[in-house]
Amino acid sequence: MKDSAMPANVPVLRIENIKKRFGDKEILKGVSFELNRGDIKAIIGPSGGGKSTLLHCINFLTLFDEGHVYLNGIEIDHANKRELYAYRQKVGMIFQDFNLFDHLSALQNVQIGLVRVKKIPKAEARERAVAELERVGLKEHMNKYPAELSGGQKQRVSIARALAMDPEVMLLDEPTSALDPELVGEVHSVIQKLAAGGMTMILVTHEIGFAGSLAKEIMFMDEGVIVEKGPPRKILYEASQARTREFCDKIIHFHHREDDQE
Amino acid sequence: MHFSITAGLKAVIEGLPYILGGVWVTLVVVVGALFMGLVLGTLLSIAHVYGNRVLRGLTGLYVWFFRGVPLLVLLFLFYFGLLGALHLDLSPFFVSIVVLGLISSAYQSQILRGAILSIPEGQLKAARAIGMSDTKAITFIILPQAFRLAIPGWSNEYTIIMKNSAVTYALGVAEIMARANHVAARTYQHFWLYLLAGFIFLILTYAGTKLLGLLQKRVAIKGYAR
Amino acid sequence: MSEFLFLRNEVAPAMIRGVWMSIKLIVPSAVFGLVIGIITGTLRVYGHAVLKSVANIYVTLFRGFPLLVQLYLWYFGLARFGIYFSPYTAAVIGFSLCSGAYHSEYIRGALLSIKEGQMLGAQSLGFSKTQALFSIILPQAVRRALPGCGNELIYLIKYSSLAYMVTCIELTGEAKILASLYFKYMELFLIAGAIYLFLVSIATWILNHVEGWLAVPGFEPPRT
Repeated sequence: MKDSAMPANVPVLRIENIKKRFGDKEILKGVSFELNRGDIKAIIGPSGGGKSTLLHCINFLTLFDEGHVYLNGIEIDHANKRELYAYRQKVGMIFQDFNLFDHLSALQNVQIGLVRVKKIPKAEARERAVAELERVGLKEHMNKYPAELSGGQKQRVSIARALAMDPEVMLLDEPTSALDPELVGEVHSVIQKLAAGGMTMILVTHEIGFAGSLAKEIMFMDEGVIVEKGPPRKILYEASQARTREFCDKIIHFHHREDDQE
Repeated sequence: MHFSITAGLKAVIEGLPYILGGVWVTLVVVVGALFMGLVLGTLLSIAHVYGNRVLRGLTGLYVWFFRGVPLLVLLFLFYFGLLGALHLDLSPFFVSIVVLGLISSAYQSQILRGAILSIPEGQLKAARAIGMSDTKAITFIILPQAFRLAIPGWSNEYTIIMKNSAVTYALGVAEIMARANHVAARTYQHFWLYLLAGFIFLILTYAGTKLLGLLQKRVAIKGYAR
Repeated sequence: MSEFLFLRNEVAPAMIRGVWMSIKLIVPSAVFGLVIGIITGTLRVYGHAVLKSVANIYVTLFRGFPLLVQLYLWYFGLARFGIYFSPYTAAVIGFSLCSGAYHSEYIRGALLSIKEGQMLGAQSLGFSKTQALFSIILPQAVRRALPGCGNELIYLIKYSSLAYMVTCIELTGEAKILASLYFKYMELFLIAGAIYLFLVSIATWILNHVEGWLAVPGFEPPRT
C-alpha cells in the first residue's frame, strides 16, 4: 500500500461483489462500488437492508463470505494481519453507538491509537490528539470521560479518534441515529467540515436531507443489493425503481409533515 | 500406600454409608445456621436501615466483627474460650450452628440491607398514607419485597456456609469431613476419601442452589423484578 | 507470672511469629491466585474450546470443594502417593488454587460485561486483538472485577487460618498452642481475632483506595 506510485485514475476504495450470509439469511447479495479520492457517497435504505453489515465488512470487522476489497488498487488480504491493521488505519470507522473506550478520557481515547498502534511518542501523540479534538470543537472537554459527555460530544470524539489515524477514507455508520434530535446538528456540522476539507467518505444514514446536501451520489440499498444509484435529486425525486420511490416518498413525506407541524 | 485406584475405590465404597450419614449432620448445621442467620440478619438489617445513630453504630460494629474474624478462630473462641468462661457445657454441634449462624447473620444483614434500600421510598410512604404504623409497613410491605430480592444473595450465602461447615470438623462435629477422615485413618486412602467428601459437598451445594432457584421462581411476582 | 510479663514474654513473640507466618501465607497466595484467576478467567472468555472447558472444570471443582477438603487433599491426600509437600507449601498451593478459581469467576464476569463495541472500536483503529485485549479490554475488566477480587483477597486473609489444620503454625496455630499450654483460650483467641480484624480492616482500606485511584467517572461497577 504505497500511495506514492499510485496512478491518478485508480479509485481509493473499490468494493467488488461482497456477499455475506448469517445462517440461511443472505444479508449481502453481491455489492460492488468504487470511491475516488474526494468522493462522498451516501447509502440509504430500510433497516435490515444490509447497510451496516456492508460498512462492517468493508472494515473486515465482519468477515464476508465472498468478494474483494481494494485500497488504492491493491487487494486487502485480511489473513495478513499486518496488512489488515495498516488498512484499518487508512479506513476510519464511525459507529452508530460511538464505541468510545469507556475507561479513557476524551483525550486518551484519541491518543491511544497513536501511541499503541502508530507507536508515536506520548508527548507528540498528545499534541496531535489535542489538535484533533480542537478540530471537532471539544478541546475544552478533553479531560472528560465518555460518561460525562453528551451523545453528540461522544460522536465528535469518535470522529477525532478516527481522524487522528490519518485515514484516507471514512466510513460513517448512521453517525447520528443514536442521538437526541437537538444534538444531531453539531455532528452534522463536523461531517460537513470534513467534506469541505476533501475527505473521501461513505455515509450510511436515514437523514435524507443531509445525505442529499452532502453526497454527490446516493445509493439505495435494500435486501442485500444496491437497487439504484445516482445523483441525490434523481434518487430522491425521480427514482426509476419502484422500491426506491416508495422508500423515498415515505421518508420525504414524513419529513414534510414534520416541517408542517413546526 | 501406592497409587491404587482399586484400594481407593474399595475404601470409598465401604466408607460411603458411614460418610453419607454425615450428610444429615452437615445439613442440620447448615440449615440451622442459615435460619439463625436469617432471623438475626433481618433484625440487624432493620436496625441498620431504620434505627437511630446508636443502633446503626452497634450493628455496624457487629457486622465488622463477624465479617473480620476467621471462622476457625471464632469456633475456638466460642467453644474453648466462651464456654469455659461461662462454665457452660454445650456440644460442639450446637456451638458450630451458633457460630456459623452469627457469622451468617452479619452477611445476611448486608444482603437484606441492600435489598431494603433498593425498594423505592414511595412504598413506605404509600403504606403510611393508608394508616399503617412503621412496624406494620416494614413487616407487610417492605420485607416481603426485600426477601424476594434477597434470594440470589441467600443462594450464595448457602453455598458459603455449606463449604465452611467442613471447618466444624475442627471441633469434632461428626459431619462429612470428619467421617471421611475417620475412614481415611483406618484405610489409609486419604486422597480418595477426601475426593469423595469434596464431591458430596459439591452436590449438596449444587442441589441447594437449584432448590433456592425454584423457590425464587415460586415466589416470583409477575413483572416484579429489579 | 504476672499478666504483663506473660503478655510480653509469651504472647507477643508468639503473635508476631504467627502474624509473620500468616503474611507469608497470604501474600504469595494472593499473587498466585490473582495470576491464576486472570489467566483462567481470560481463557474462559476468549480461549480455545478445549482450554475453555479445562478452565471451567477447574473453577467448578475448586469453587465447589470446601477449602479445608482441598488443603487435606494437597497435604494428606497426595502424601499417600509419595508426593510430600511441607505444610507451608501445601497451604500456599491450596490457597492459590482455591482463590484463583474465585478470581477467575470475577474476571470472567467482568470481561463478559464489557460491550462488544469496545473491541470493534479498537479494531477499527488498527489494533490487533491482543493489543485491544491488553490496552482496552483488560484495563476495563480489572476495574469491573476489582470489588469482587478485593472481597476474595479479604476472604483469603481469614481463610489463611485454615493452614493450622494442615499443621502450618500461623497466627491461629500459635494462639491455639499457647492457649492450650496456659489454659487461656478466651484471651488468646480474642487477641488473635483482633489481629485478624486489624489485617482485614487494613486490607479493606487499601482496596478502597485502589478502587478510588482507578475510578473513572461513570464507569463504576454497580455497588451494593
